[in-house]
Amino acid sequence: MEPTTPKSAEPMPIWFFVGVILLTYGVLVVVAGLMGSARPTVLSETRPALWWGAILTVAGVLFTAIGWAGRPKD
Amino acid sequence: MHTIQLAPIDWAIIGLYFVAIIGIGLYLRRFTTTGEDFFLAGRRNSSWVAGLAFLSANLGALEILGWTGGTMKYGMLVSQFYWIGAIPAMLFLGLYMMPFYYSSKIHSVPGYLLLRFDERSRLLNAFSFAIMTLLMSGINLYLMALVFNVLLGWGWNVSMWVSAAAIACYITLGGLMSAIFTEIVQFFLIWAGLFLVSVLGVMEMGGVEQVFAGLPPAMASLWSTTGESSQNAMGVTWPGIVMGLGFVLSFGYWTTDFLVVQRAFSSKDLRSARLTPITASFFKMALPFIVVVAGLVAYKLAARGDGSFVMPADPMDASKTWYDAALPLLIVRYYPEGLVGLGITALLAGFMAGQAGNVSAFNTVFTYDIYRAVIKKDATDAHLLRVGRVMTIVGILLSIGTAYLAMQFNAIMDYIQAIFSWVNAPLFATMLLGMFWKRTTSTAAFYGLIAGMIASFSIFLGFKLKAISPELAHTLTFADNPSDMTRNLWQAIWAWGVCFVVTVALTLVTKPKTDAELVGLVKGLTPDTDDSQVAWYGRPAVWAAASFAVLVALNVYFW
Repeated sequence: MEPTTPKSAEPMPIWFFVGVILLTYGVLVVVAGLMGSARPTVLSETRPALWWGAILTVAGVLFTAIGWAGRPKD
Repeated sequence: MHTIQLAPIDWAIIGLYFVAIIGIGLYLRRFTTTGEDFFLAGRRNSSWVAGLAFLSANLGALEILGWTGGTMKYGMLVSQFYWIGAIPAMLFLGLYMMPFYYSSKIHSVPGYLLLRFDERSRLLNAFSFAIMTLLMSGINLYLMALVFNVLLGWGWNVSMWVSAAAIACYITLGGLMSAIFTEIVQFFLIWAGLFLVSVLGVMEMGGVEQVFAGLPPAMASLWSTTGESSQNAMGVTWPGIVMGLGFVLSFGYWTTDFLVVQRAFSSKDLRSARLTPITASFFKMALPFIVVVAGLVAYKLAARGDGSFVMPADPMDASKTWYDAALPLLIVRYYPEGLVGLGITALLAGFMAGQAGNVSAFNTVFTYDIYRAVIKKDATDAHLLRVGRVMTIVGILLSIGTAYLAMQFNAIMDYIQAIFSWVNAPLFATMLLGMFWKRTTSTAAFYGLIAGMIASFSIFLGFKLKAISPELAHTLTFADNPSDMTRNLWQAIWAWGVCFVVTVALTLVTKPKTDAELVGLVKGLTPDTDDSQVAWYGRPAVWAAASFAVLVALNVYFW
């Protein structure tokens, strides 16, 4: 027997999932940036993992908040 | 070339992506209980969601890798595939064609052909689309395995089966909604994982002006070198770009290919459906800021000749340069640990979302336009839902089979990749006449479509087998030594032209449908959309005008 859901049931907005993924990746990239890289790269002195990870983290928080605000109400 | 070594943090980032997409599929399973949920995502999406999915269904990793490398060969001209080769068609779809598609409540593009013409045109398009989609899906899978094998040393079987299993899992669970969710995640991952390459490239060059400084005119302009085919590396003149790319190929793809149009069908109402491709057009125009900028940076780094940026040989033909490796080489050049994992995840997501898009379009067309039309006309909604889920698995397995075939016989890829102009270019002529000329008859549409497909295939085969004389080649392409790109453009133009002429000619001697049968399907017999009650900032025409203005500005700036 297939589980049934009323037609009106709505999933969480996609923005919530986008936000959680960007937030998780942003934090991981910042952590990687803090630990430093064993592999030499061009422009490594600009610490791209740190600032790009921070940008992703902020974007992740914003999208998570937007998605949470738009969650389906019971 | 040496394979890229991944650190544990990179593996963690890649692994998390798989967890996320399968988790999303499991979550969406509970909201997928009817055929409309599975095949059309419940028709509940806003224009933002449908628009980003519309764009992302076309935004595969192959395209990004291919056009970054293509920029090294052809320069700024590559931008035309994102600008004139997409935007006018997307705006035309939203403003003029979507009302006929959406209002008729069809499940697929072949479904429109059934209502407007008859079963013959519907089945011809359904079969050709289903075959094309599966073959393209298989090629995509094969090239993904090739890229990851050469760059990362991953085994062929592991790459193909693991990604295919993940796709099968989340599409079977959540249908089109799963595909749309993962396509949108992929869109953001591509910007998160790849845009930084362009940013760091510009930083290394010393600014945007320095990226363009010293480039030959053919590399740095859009139109100024298209007066003569010998003046640009693409070997094409402006009529070929305008007619072939800007009209036939792009309109054929963006307005009739169900893979992208299906995303607009998932919109919650007609206005959202019309805004879907218009919203997508703005993001489409932004993509050259990843692809073209990275390609120009790669061109300048390789031109230095100091050995710090060397393009590898093509793994399929060692006598050629493997331009597709340009973007991964830039990732290795600029990205430290952690960011490498994010860049690889972006490419992986791009490959997998492309696959998922193909499979979700295939299962819909097969279920509604082949299974229900030919095999079981009285199938219930629950039955069709089960067929859709089963065909998802079957479609994935057939894709894997095609991938192994491509691995054994590389030459078949040329044929498969040319299928687009066999199927889509003539179909656009059929759609155009069908929607805007009510006299167009069902018999004319069917035979016109066949004539266009045969014309396209004959020209392709003629060039492939070197059976076309230089004089005929010049007549067909207006170029002395037409490149593959030029041939493709003109092959599409001829296919469209033959279909158009044959359809018009046969229409004049065959019996049309009555007006009553065409209400809601044809211009003149369908009420015009009325946006007068909508605020100006919510009107599709306003946003289409804004999008077109940006397109003009970009073309003037980079002339």
